[in-house]
Amino acid sequence: MTARDEILAHLRTELSRTDDLFRRAKIRHETPTVPSAVTEATGDRLALARQFGAKLEAIHGGFEIAQGPESVPTRVTQLVKRWNSDGDRVLSWAASELHVPDLTPRLEQAGISFYVPDDMHEEECRRSAAHLSVGITGVEAAFAGTGSIALLPGKGRSRAAALLTLYHIAVIPFSCIYPSIEAWMEVARKAGNLDDRVRRGSQLAFVTGPSKSADIELNLTLGVHGPKMVHAVIFDDG
Amino acid sequence: MPVDSSAPYRKRVAQALGDDGLRTALDRATGRLRSHRLAAMQDIDVERLREEVRAVREYSVSNLPDLLEQLEQNLTANGCVVHWARDAAEANEIVREIADEHNVQQVAKSKSMTTEEIGLNEALEHADIEVVETDLGEYIIQLAGEPPSHLTAPVIHKRVEDISKLFEQEFGIAPTTNPADLCAVARNQLRSKFLRADMGISGGNFAVAESGTVCIVTNEGNGRMVTSMPRVYVAIVGIEKVVPRLEDAILLWQAAARSATGQDVTVYFSMSSGPRGEGHPDGPEEMHVVLLDNGRSRLLERGYADALLCIRCGACVNECPVYREIGGHAYGRTAYSGPIGAVVTPLLSDDMTSAKELPFASSLCGACLDVCPAKIDLPRLLLDLRHDLVLLKSGTNAERLGMRLFASAAKRRFTFEWLTRLGRWATGLLSGRDGEVRRLPPPLSGWTKYRSFPKLAASGFRKLWAERKPGRESGRG
Amino acid sequence: MTAKPQPSIPSERPKVALFLTCMVETMYPEVGLAAARLLERNGADVVYLRKQTCCGQPAFNSGHRPEALEVARHFVEVFGAPLESGEVDAIVAPSGSCVAMVREYYDVLFESGCEEEERRRALAVSRATYELTEYLVKMLRVDRIESGFQGSLTYHPCCHLLRGLRVDEQPRHLLAGLQHAELVDLQADEECCGFGGVFAIKNAEISVAMGRRKADHIVSTGAEVVAVSDVSCMTHLNGLFKRDGRPCRAVHIAEVLDDGTAERRNV
Repeated sequence: MTARDEILAHLRTELSRTDDLFRRAKIRHETPTVPSAVTEATGDRLALARQFGAKLEAIHGGFEIAQGPESVPTRVTQLVKRWNSDGDRVLSWAASELHVPDLTPRLEQAGISFYVPDDMHEEECRRSAAHLSVGITGVEAAFAGTGSIALLPGKGRSRAAALLTLYHIAVIPFSCIYPSIEAWMEVARKAGNLDDRVRRGSQLAFVTGPSKSADIELNLTLGVHGPKMVHAVIFDDG
Repeated sequence: MPVDSSAPYRKRVAQALGDDGLRTALDRATGRLRSHRLAAMQDIDVERLREEVRAVREYSVSNLPDLLEQLEQNLTANGCVVHWARDAAEANEIVREIADEHNVQQVAKSKSMTTEEIGLNEALEHADIEVVETDLGEYIIQLAGEPPSHLTAPVIHKRVEDISKLFEQEFGIAPTTNPADLCAVARNQLRSKFLRADMGISGGNFAVAESGTVCIVTNEGNGRMVTSMPRVYVAIVGIEKVVPRLEDAILLWQAAARSATGQDVTVYFSMSSGPRGEGHPDGPEEMHVVLLDNGRSRLLERGYADALLCIRCGACVNECPVYREIGGHAYGRTAYSGPIGAVVTPLLSDDMTSAKELPFASSLCGACLDVCPAKIDLPRLLLDLRHDLVLLKSGTNAERLGMRLFASAAKRRFTFEWLTRLGRWATGLLSGRDGEVRRLPPPLSGWTKYRSFPKLAASGFRKLWAERKPGRESGRG
Repeated sequence: MTAKPQPSIPSERPKVALFLTCMVETMYPEVGLAAARLLERNGADVVYLRKQTCCGQPAFNSGHRPEALEVARHFVEVFGAPLESGEVDAIVAPSGSCVAMVREYYDVLFESGCEEEERRRALAVSRATYELTEYLVKMLRVDRIESGFQGSLTYHPCCHLLRGLRVDEQPRHLLAGLQHAELVDLQADEECCGFGGVFAIKNAEISVAMGRRKADHIVSTGAEVVAVSDVSCMTHLNGLFKRDGRPCRAVHIAEVLDDGTAERRNV
């Protein structure tokens, strides 16, 4: 018998032995329906954007809300120049993934060059990415209830751009912001593509603010392995 | 005197109680975590959350085999390789083989109690593979050569001075009491490890059956690193971790975050379903999932399904007044300490009596049950385990005799009165002029070693009652 | 002058069987008396069933269930029949842990190897058992107790009462109503004192570490007395106060409420 068969058989035998599996309990329960949202924001798109920003700020991230897509490139440029310690090269997602079509060309005009990794398993690629201080990405979605973003890898969407650098700039259109993670999942499920996105993305990642640790005497430190700053540039995409 | 987790129970406890540094650290840390948790629970409907968590976990455990099959099917469809391991040895062998196949020399690991449980690091090091723990706390104790002492805060027992000293020895840094400096050192050291490692290993907080997904929770980002940078990614997942749907994982994640550290969510929640997709710039080329039994199905056999409901948040550990006095290492060579550890350690062992002291290392105060997001009745489980251990004859003859004596005396009035008279006589004899007994004979000597004991009342209740209401004493009974 | 004839309103005073508990009976019978007086003064008739012994908790707590069942059977015999016949309406004990044993764990104890009839009777007894302050407030609807207790006082909620029975408001309310007492809050009051039954002996060192922590908090309130619902916790705390020379004593809440400062031989 394979390990698999043995384990499954053992489980089936034990579970069939009793109707009262959790008898060492004070309470009785029913089978679950879809769980309700643990924490949810409310209001119109601007209100959600503000709540998202507030949550992000509360956990040491940063945010700003731009009028529209045309003012995004200037704001991003300012951030890059503030944070780039040496040179003006940034680790980034491909231009088409950044929600603002002219973001890349406008920044290039301002003297900022983009490194969009091709294959991080290549030594050359790794070396190029490793020294960069600022990463720029779009998002799959953002969640006002917790100040989280969802990132789904894909062609032109590296995991590295949100992970390796000290500063992470996330460009977020209003239309990507949901009241909660649960609300987003509900929409995706109704549209029938939740399962597909999760699988094809290979790693759905929820990121909520900068990397941190309180392992040392419960003292908070930012930027342990991931970025020490996550800054959202949010804009109204009408 | 640091606690030697391989020493016998009494010694471990004595070492822990004698270590003031440890107790200060434990006190501070658990106190902080308790108050954070409390704050996080104020602004949500806690009882509803617990109901939903309980419901999801009950469903999951009740349907374990079907869900595991579904999980395997979907992981495979996503391009993962699924392995099954009956015990620690098998699991370690599987990982060694994968490492062998890919000429792995260096492994980067994110924190996983499951891998602690099976002793994976030792097994890989035995095969000349370098294993680096990347969780800051785990990294520190790895350098120190110690096992973790808490479910979610592995280095809770160390002060910043201890860690500085360690880093001074290892990396030649200048002494510092600034945690940010120490973190920066670790970040630097570990960054190159992440990028050079041939294989990444993680545990799994939850595994979603419907989509074939392994979820891990971190705050540092090492989880994302370890599951994204190396070419080969291996996840070791206990079979009880499976849940039916993605929404269930999202729920349990938030429940665990609030219960463990008081955060709404952890900084990172990485849900890996397979190797990197076509055209993706990063991600592993191969993803393996090892589904681990290692005593879980036997725990079911032993009748303790309740214990499998656990979502590994550690809230019970932070709340436990016993844990706070002795810390995790005093629970012995086990990955699991505190109330849940006292329950699962004997249950996962081949021989339950090998951890026979643990279910008794509790005053049954019930603080753990109050905070458990899955509403596991830990005091009840501990009581049941005490009974099971007595059935396995793990107590002493003296204890058994004592209990027989008690039962014989207390089951009828006549003998009860005689035992009381005996007690009155004995304590009268042993007490000083102030009415206090300074030394009780064994097995009760443990009491008077530290506490005085009053001598038994000269008149029993019956007499007092009769004196009070002469003739009115109820002739009943 | 003729007195108006008053219609006699039959007032049903509930009949309460006093469940002393083995520790109270053998070590602190005055606590039992105090409990009886409190019940009588506040509307109940107290019945003392002489053959009672113990609820079986010591054996149950240490994993010896057959022995616990033997003792529990006797308990059910003593209290069950009068309850069934209506001679007794309720069973009341000055102890959180003993009541918790009967209410929470008789269900478990009388599970396997018991006749249906016996189990039914055990559960009936289980449902009719109350802790003293719980009974006073919930059933006898006592709002205030006139007590001569004087001095500064703090309250430590025993775990089985607090978490097992979820009785907390009631004892606190009664203590807050004491006219001559100065009630002080206890820091970290919900933390266990460390008694824990067999734990106090088997893990004496940890038990004492927990107890000393609790004692420190109590002493720092400046109160002369800490009121508790269980004589087990009381013995543990007083044992430490005495041995460590701390200026405080633990007194059972029944004695505090019943003109509490009576000299008690054992303390």
